[in-house]
Amino acid sequence: MTELRFVIKLMFIERKDMYISIIYGVLAGLSTVAVFADSGYLVSKAALLPPLYILTIFVALLKLFTVIRAFARYAERYYSHRATFTILSNVRTYFFTKLEPLAPSLFQRFRSGDLLARVVGDVESLQNFFLRVYYPPIVMLVVFLTTVLFTAMFSWPVALILLLGLVITGFCIPFIFAIKQRGIQAKIRQLRTELSTDTTEFLYGFLDLKLYQRLSSKEKKLSQTSDVYIEEQEVKGKKEQLNSAVNHWFSLLTSWSVIALGAYLVSAGEVDGVFLAMLVLISLTVFETAAPMTEVPGYFEDTRHAAERLSSIINEAEKQQELKSNGRLTELDGPPEIECKNVHFCFPGEARPTLTDVSLQLPSGSKTAIVGPSGSGKSTLLHLLLKLYPPSSGTIRIQGQDLAHLDEDQLWKNISPVLQGNHFFYGCVRENLRLAGDNISDDKMNEVLSYVKLDHLSVDSVVLEKGANLSGGEKQRLAIARAMLKKGSLLLLDEPTSSVDPITQQRVMNRLFTGAKDNTIVLISHNLTGLEHMDQIIVMDQGRIIESGTYQELMEMRGYFYRMKMIENGIWGQVQ
Amino acid sequence: MKQLKDLAKQQKRSMYSLSFTAFVIGCMTVLQALLIVSIVTNIFLEEMPFSAVILQLAALLAVFSVRGLCAYIHGKTGIAMASQAKKQFRQALITQYSHNPVQASIKGQSGQKVTLVTDVVDEIDPYFSKYYPQRILSSIVSIILLAAVVWQNWVSAVIMLVTAPLIPVFMIIIGKKTEKKALQHVEKLTVLAGKFLDSLQGLVTLKLFGKVKEEAALIKKSSIDYRTATMDVLKFAFLSSLVLELISMLGTALIALEVGLRLVIYQNISFFPAFFVLAIAPEFYKTLKDVGSAFHAGKGSMAAAEKIIDELEGSHQTIKWGNKMLSDTACPPSMVLNNLSFTYGEDHFSLHGINAEFEPNSQIAIIGPSGAGKTSLLHLLAGIYKPATGEVLVNDEPLFTYDEREWFDKLIYISQDPYIFSGTIKDNILIACPEKKISENELGTVLEKAGLTELIQQLENGINTSIGEAGRGLSGGEKQRIALARAFLKRPSIILFDEPTVGLDLYTESILQKSIAELAQTATIITVAHRLHTIKQADCILYLEKGTLVGKGTHKELLEQTKDYLTMVEEHQGGAAG
Ligand SMILES: Nc1ncnc2c1ncn2[C@@H]1O[C@H](COP(=O)(O)OP(=O)(O)OP(=O)(O)O)[C@@H](O)[C@H]1O
Ligand SMILES: Nc1ncnc2c1ncn2[C@@H]1O[C@H](COP(=O)(O)OP(=O)(O)OP(=O)(O)O)[C@@H](O)[C@H]1O
Ligand SMILES: [Mg+2]
Ligand SMILES: [Mg+2]
Repeated sequence: MTELRFVIKLMFIERKDMYISIIYGVLAGLSTVAVFADSGYLVSKAALLPPLYILTIFVALLKLFTVIRAFARYAERYYSHRATFTILSNVRTYFFTKLEPLAPSLFQRFRSGDLLARVVGDVESLQNFFLRVYYPPIVMLVVFLTTVLFTAMFSWPVALILLLGLVITGFCIPFIFAIKQRGIQAKIRQLRTELSTDTTEFLYGFLDLKLYQRLSSKEKKLSQTSDVYIEEQEVKGKKEQLNSAVNHWFSLLTSWSVIALGAYLVSAGEVDGVFLAMLVLISLTVFETAAPMTEVPGYFEDTRHAAERLSSIINEAEKQQELKSNGRLTELDGPPEIECKNVHFCFPGEARPTLTDVSLQLPSGSKTAIVGPSGSGKSTLLHLLLKLYPPSSGTIRIQGQDLAHLDEDQLWKNISPVLQGNHFFYGCVRENLRLAGDNISDDKMNEVLSYVKLDHLSVDSVVLEKGANLSGGEKQRLAIARAMLKKGSLLLLDEPTSSVDPITQQRVMNRLFTGAKDNTIVLISHNLTGLEHMDQIIVMDQGRIIESGTYQELMEMRGYFYRMKMIENGIWGQVQ
Repeated sequence: MKQLKDLAKQQKRSMYSLSFTAFVIGCMTVLQALLIVSIVTNIFLEEMPFSAVILQLAALLAVFSVRGLCAYIHGKTGIAMASQAKKQFRQALITQYSHNPVQASIKGQSGQKVTLVTDVVDEIDPYFSKYYPQRILSSIVSIILLAAVVWQNWVSAVIMLVTAPLIPVFMIIIGKKTEKKALQHVEKLTVLAGKFLDSLQGLVTLKLFGKVKEEAALIKKSSIDYRTATMDVLKFAFLSSLVLELISMLGTALIALEVGLRLVIYQNISFFPAFFVLAIAPEFYKTLKDVGSAFHAGKGSMAAAEKIIDELEGSHQTIKWGNKMLSDTACPPSMVLNNLSFTYGEDHFSLHGINAEFEPNSQIAIIGPSGAGKTSLLHLLAGIYKPATGEVLVNDEPLFTYDEREWFDKLIYISQDPYIFSGTIKDNILIACPEKKISENELGTVLEKAGLTELIQQLENGINTSIGEAGRGLSGGEKQRIALARAFLKRPSIILFDEPTVGLDLYTESILQKSIAELAQTATIITVAHRLHTIKQADCILYLEKGTLVGKGTHKELLEQTKDYLTMVEEHQGGAAG
């Protein structure tokens, strides 16, 4: 039940609708039984030729009960569904906000198709928790027990049989079937997730699959998964059908016993014959209200499982959330100064540290370049500066304040980032640039677009998912435009122009550096030309800082940087 | 794709079986009423002893059992039909997506497509598992019940006949109204899914730009919209059951009144037919009501099917390949670009009249400013875009006369943004040539060539480390090298590289350049590059600008002929970093 706790919590926000649906549900159930009892009694009574006014009363009552039933049923359905779907939409939003703390490594843990399956399918199946598990048994118990009490006034053996029937059809059989169905629900969910993850990957990796001629084999695999999924659904459907058939048969058996017993009791003179038809009709209808009971254990198991899949993520996120601090960063009055002291970092589950003993100093307004071989930890260091991950040990200070104690949103407000991979949302250029601030005018956007040489785009240009209709260099420049518009006083740039040609790169970077003259800049690059103007160059290798200093100093040191520069010069020596 | 009702008609055997069980159920319902009524009459009015009804009781039990059994078979048949239909729809979607041309594949949101394949297909289920069987059941059972009532008391039958058509008429009216709503409901679901997946992918970006809260508000809006759409559909469904309920109440009440009057006042009817009619009437209206509520489930399915059929109809012109084989000589084929043009559509980027010849075994470089159309040209060369005019000639034959598989077997194309699949490093490299048997040794050499040996050694599970989604993270350059390893493993005769050494430092790059040079001995290599030093020995450099080929020749020739190229080279040596 612990898995369902968050659902119940969210459910109680809608408790008013819940109570209303329960009340109307009971009313509808009782009036159904009343309708049949009344009509059974009516016809028997009529056979005895009673005074007309008695018949009129019963006919009027019959109509009253039917009308009550119709309207109560309508209200019950309306309120219960309104509550349920409001709950579901709350669950979805709740789930998304809960994912946030897991963000930097979210996809190292989960696959996107899996998360999608959870938020769409699993949340959708939670509707059964309220609609089929939570309140119908309450309604059904009330209706049934009232009916049993009512019948007991005429014949307690009949009441007893009804009670027995209730226990068998309402509890025993559903329970037995639920146990037999146990695994299948989980299996179906598993297959559904597989279908969703595989389809997502199929779509995301489409170009590569096409180029490697793997589309047809993937297609085959998808259809196979789909077929198995459908077969399992069919098995489940048929089992449910069997379940309800067996249950139905038992309820008919109960009605039959009521008829037989009733007939016997009447013929033995223990019950007035005029009630016989009524008892028979009651027994036939009361089980109709009990029918939803057959589904309860199955749906319970199903929703429990769905909730478990959601709450496992939510719990993990909450653990992360606890690590979050909310110390306030004192307003920066200028470009920040940053200091790393003996920073170590190890990705969870990795044997080797990714960063070892990194210490560095970035004075306010300084321009720093980080270079080093691929995989040396440059991007990781940048992520640490962004507080996307906390260092395993050591401290990072911004303006003298420990990063670990700072509120992230406040920190990020001051940073303009360009990461190695940047995401663009489905929509238009304007929507993507607006991330940098809500009040940026179209003119301003156009201006910045021309800074990054994207004049051919307008703010209304279409951007497809992941920027798929932009060229590699255009995406990078759009990311730079976004960072420029954000106007943070700290610029963290991770190979921002690696896919841009030298001329455009030169112009864009010049523009960027002039615009950010006073700001603190950290630039990761593999291109060593043009680093002469940087205040500081940091060379990393295997997670350590192996050299640092100005361009001149590094060249004189004749170490790694010097050797790299020689390779570069050598290459160009050959060219010219 | 066919409409649902045609799909249902196709499954003839199921239809017969449904009709048969419906017929039996109808008869059993009548028998059941007869038996119950006669038992009650015998005991209550005739005051017979209990032993007189034992036989009838036994018969009743049998009737109950047969009715239950038939209901079970009836339900099962519908479920099996649903499976068939779902399979067909999902298969059609998957086929559509896998045959989509690349340009069409990037349109729309992946989340929407995934939901179409999973949830929307599942929504087709109720049409077959609920609506269709119920329709057959109701039409057959209601006729049988009506006939039984005619036989016992024709006046009641007339009342039934007058009131019953109200139900289908009303359903048709309501059905028209819900159609649009049901479609909206499906639409909103896919929108929600599309939005969610896109936001999830960009979660880090959203975080850094402080927009998570706003995005959550958008998701909330999306899911509230979905809720509203759901409720809009349901409101109609509930309203229609309310009205159906009232209609059937009207019917039952009229019958009760009629029976009551004739029984008590005119006394021209006996207890038996009166009770019988009263027992049958609710069953009659119930079966009509049931088809009413199943009708709504069916409408939902129809909307889902419509949405899928829409998606299927949006199919695009696919590329038709021939069946010519490439000659199996060791020598790579020659390639000629003959007045090649391409466009992404009006007012969009286009490539104009490109002419070039690539000798076998030559090394070609394509350079030009960002956005000049280099990647687009590679797509054309690979045969995944269809030229607007002109053609690519391979061994003097148009590219599309060759067999598709054969062509892609001879070629590898490492795109600008290679995708890392969720799986092990090994899987990700082997994906380029699945059929080939690869020895450990060979794999080792490939890793060596791609400069990955050091990384693999550091990993606990080595080459079996899982990467991609739900796997270990990699640095930008590491991903690039894994993609490049695919080429070293495959050793094809035509190689297309889109910026192969992006994100690599000079040292790692020089290792890879050596390996690429080795590949060049047996292949034609066409490389797009921004790092000009990597292309200095190219046999031919194509300089593109705004979709036009402005210069062509060796490095030296271009330096002399093409001014822009000269500027670019100069810039590269003295420009800012990046
Ligand atoms: N999520 C992760 N989990 C475990 N290891 C990781 C993860 N991300 C990166 N690494 C490893 O950490 C090391 C440093 O990666 P990082 O991305 O910082 O390199 P980089 O210097 O930016 O390289 P590049 O120039 O190729 O981008 C690499 O060896 C990489 O494999
Ligand atoms: N699917 C598409 N739909 C519409 N326009 C597109 C599409 N793909 C690319 N473009 C546009 O076509 C132009 C050329 O793109 P292409 O990717 O060929 O450039 P590129 O030369 O490879 O640039 P880069 O060096 O930046 O990768 C760009 O302006 C781009 O915006
Ligand atoms: Mg990096
Ligand atoms: Mg490109």
